[in-house]
Amino acid sequence: MSEPLLKVSNLKTYFISKYRTVKAVDGVDFEVQKGKVLGIVGESGSGKSMTSLSIMGLIPPPYGKIVEGEIRFEGVDLSKLSEKKMNDVRGNRISMIFQEPMSALNPVLKIGEQIDEVLIRHKRLSKSEARRKSIQLLQSVGFPRAEQIVNEYPHQLSGGMRQRAMIAMAMACEPSILIADEPTTALDVTIQAQVLDLMRDLKEHTGTAIVLITHDLGVVADMADDMIVMYGGQVVESGTADDIFNTPLHPYTNALMESIPVIDEERERLTAIPGTVPSAANFPQGCRFAERCAIAQASCHEKMPELRELQPGHLVRCDLA
Amino acid sequence: MAAYIIRRLLGMIPTLFVITVIVFLLMHAMPGNAFEALVFNPKIKNAAEVYKRLVAENGLNQSLPVQYIHWINNLIHGNLGISSSLNMPVSEAIGTYLPNTLILAITAEIIILVISLPIGLYQANKVNGKLDVSTSFVAIFLYSIPGFVFALVLIFLFSFLEKWLPSSGTVTPGIATSGSLGDRLTHLILPALSLALPSMAYYTRLTRSNTLSVIVADFVRTARAKGLRRPRVMFRHVLRNAIIPIVTQFGFDIGGLFGGAVLIEQIFTWPGMGELSFNATINRDYPLILGTTLLFAVMVLIGNLIADILLAISDPRVRYD
Ligand SMILES: Nc1ncnc2c1ncn2[C@@H]1O[C@H](COP(=O)(O)OP(=O)(O)OP(=O)(O)O)[C@@H](O)[C@H]1O
Ligand SMILES: [Mg+2]
Repeated sequence: MSEPLLKVSNLKTYFISKYRTVKAVDGVDFEVQKGKVLGIVGESGSGKSMTSLSIMGLIPPPYGKIVEGEIRFEGVDLSKLSEKKMNDVRGNRISMIFQEPMSALNPVLKIGEQIDEVLIRHKRLSKSEARRKSIQLLQSVGFPRAEQIVNEYPHQLSGGMRQRAMIAMAMACEPSILIADEPTTALDVTIQAQVLDLMRDLKEHTGTAIVLITHDLGVVADMADDMIVMYGGQVVESGTADDIFNTPLHPYTNALMESIPVIDEERERLTAIPGTVPSAANFPQGCRFAERCAIAQASCHEKMPELRELQPGHLVRCDLA
Repeated sequence: MAAYIIRRLLGMIPTLFVITVIVFLLMHAMPGNAFEALVFNPKIKNAAEVYKRLVAENGLNQSLPVQYIHWINNLIHGNLGISSSLNMPVSEAIGTYLPNTLILAITAEIIILVISLPIGLYQANKVNGKLDVSTSFVAIFLYSIPGFVFALVLIFLFSFLEKWLPSSGTVTPGIATSGSLGDRLTHLILPALSLALPSMAYYTRLTRSNTLSVIVADFVRTARAKGLRRPRVMFRHVLRNAIIPIVTQFGFDIGGLFGGAVLIEQIFTWPGMGELSFNATINRDYPLILGTTLLFAVMVLIGNLIADILLAISDPRVRYD
C-alpha cells in the first residue's frame, strides 16, 4: 500500500481540569488513504468528534488538549504546528463540515460572503473572482440558481441546501481531505441520500479523501472503503469496510451490526446494546466494553486488550476474538 | 422600510395620547399654579384681581376636560402654548434648550460605545485573565453608582482640586475664546462623562457577555475550520453577531439617557431639557410641563423605533411586518 495521506498515531486528547481528566480520545491510530473514504462509527461519546477536531486543531479551549500522539499529514505533524501554519492547512488542505448545517453557518452573513472568504483567504482571489468561483461551486453542489443563492442568508435555505452550501464551502480550495462529522444526521432521509450522493460524486471528481463520521452503519457500508469502530475513546476494530462487514471480530462491532434496524415483511427489529458507555472521566482498567459484553470473562475486566492484527489489515482490540 | 417607519410613527399616537392625559392629571394634582405666588406679593396692590385675570386669561378656571381639549386642539395645530414662566412660546423654549441636551446625550452615547465595546471585546478574549477580572470588577463597581455621584466626584476632582475643567454652563462668559469649539468641549467633558459612566459599565458587561456567548457558537468553529485568521473570526463572525443585542439596547437607552440628563443638567447648570422641565415643574408652568413631557415621551418612543430599525438592519432574520 502506498504512503497514507494522513496517519494518526497514538492520539490522546484529554480535557484536563483541576477536578477531573476526561479522556475523550485515548490512544487512537488510523490512516486515511488518498482519495478513499474512511468511515468512523461508534456510539455517542466514543470520541469521534474529538478525534476529528484534534486533526483540525480545533479542540475547545481552555481544558481540551492533545496530550500525546502524532497527526502526520503531508510530511508534518499537525499536532505540533503553530496556529499560524495550522490556519493555512484548515479550510485549504483539510476541511470539515458539521452535523448542524443551520448553526454551522453564520446567520448574519450571506451564503456567498461565507464562501468567498475561504477563497480570498487561501487562494488570494479578488472579491469578484471569488464570487464567480463561489457561484461555480454552488452550481457544482447542485444549486441551479446559484447566482441568487449567493445573496441569500442561511435561514432562507432548507436544511439540505445549507448542508450542500457547507460542502461547497469546504470543497472551495479542493482539499485533500474532507472531514464530515455526521453530515446527514440532522437531515430528512431522502435528503440524506442526496447529500451522500453528492459527497461521493465530489470525491470521484476531485480525488478528495473523506473521513465520514456517522452513527449509521448503513451509510458506512454504502460509502466507506476503510472503517474504524470506536468505543470509549479507543479504536476497537479497524480494517476495510468489506472485511469488517463480512467478518466483524469485536463483540461491540457485532452488537452494533445487530442493532441496525432490519425491516422485513413482518417485523421491524432494533436491538439496542444494553447498558451505557462508560464515562470518559472514569474508565475501568480493563476492556472498556467488558461491562456490556455478552462474552466477557473475568480477565477482560482486569487487563486492557491490545489492538491486534488478526488478519492482514484487520485489527481488533479483543483478546477473545 | 419607509412604510414601516411611517406605520410605527402613527402607532405612537395612542401612546402619546395616554401619556399626555396622565401628565395632565398629575400636573393639576400638584398644589398651586403658576400665578398663586402673585397673591402673596406685597408689591402688587390689586393682587387678587390680577390673579383672577391671569387665571381667566390662561383658561385655568375652566374644567380639566375643557382645558385638555383646548390644549390638544392647539397641539394639532402645531401650537404648544405660551410658557408662563419664560413668557415665550413653548416651542421656542424647547428649540433653545433641546440642542444642548442633544449634544450632551450624543456625546455621552459616543463615549459609551467607543470605550465599552473594545473593553468588553478584550475582556471576552482574555476571559478570566487578570485584566478581565479587574476591569470587570471596576465595571460592576461603576454600574452600581448613580450618575449624579460621578458628577459630584468628577467636579471635586477636576474642577475643585485641579482646576482643569469647568463645572457649569456651556461656555465661559466674558473671555475672548468664549463659545469657541475648544471652550464648548471643555464644558462638555464632565457632564457627558457623568452621564456616560454608569452606562459605560453596563455596555462593557453587555459586550463581554454577548461576545462570550457567541464565541462558542458552531458558526465560529466553522469560521476557524475555514482557516480564517483570528481578527477576522473575531470581528466578522463574533462581533458582527454579538453586536445585535447591543445596538438594540442602545436604541432603547436613548430615551433613558434623556431622562438621566435631567439630574446631570441640574448639577452642571447645563441649559438643556432637564433644566427646562425641572423649572417648568417648580413654576407650575403647565404648557411648558406638557410640552417637555411630550418631548421626553417622543424621545423614548423614537428610541424604541431606532432600536427596532437597528435590529432589522443588523439581523437579516428580522423582518419588518
Ligand atoms: N468541552 C468538553 N469538556 C469535557 N469533556 C468533553 C468536552 N467535549 C467532549 N467531551 C467528552 O469527550 C468525549 C468524546 O466526545 P465526542 O464529542 O468526541 O463524542 P462523539 O463520538 O462525537 O459523540 P456523538 O456521536 O454524540 O457526536 C465524551 O465523553 C464527552 O463527554
Ligand atoms: Mg460527535
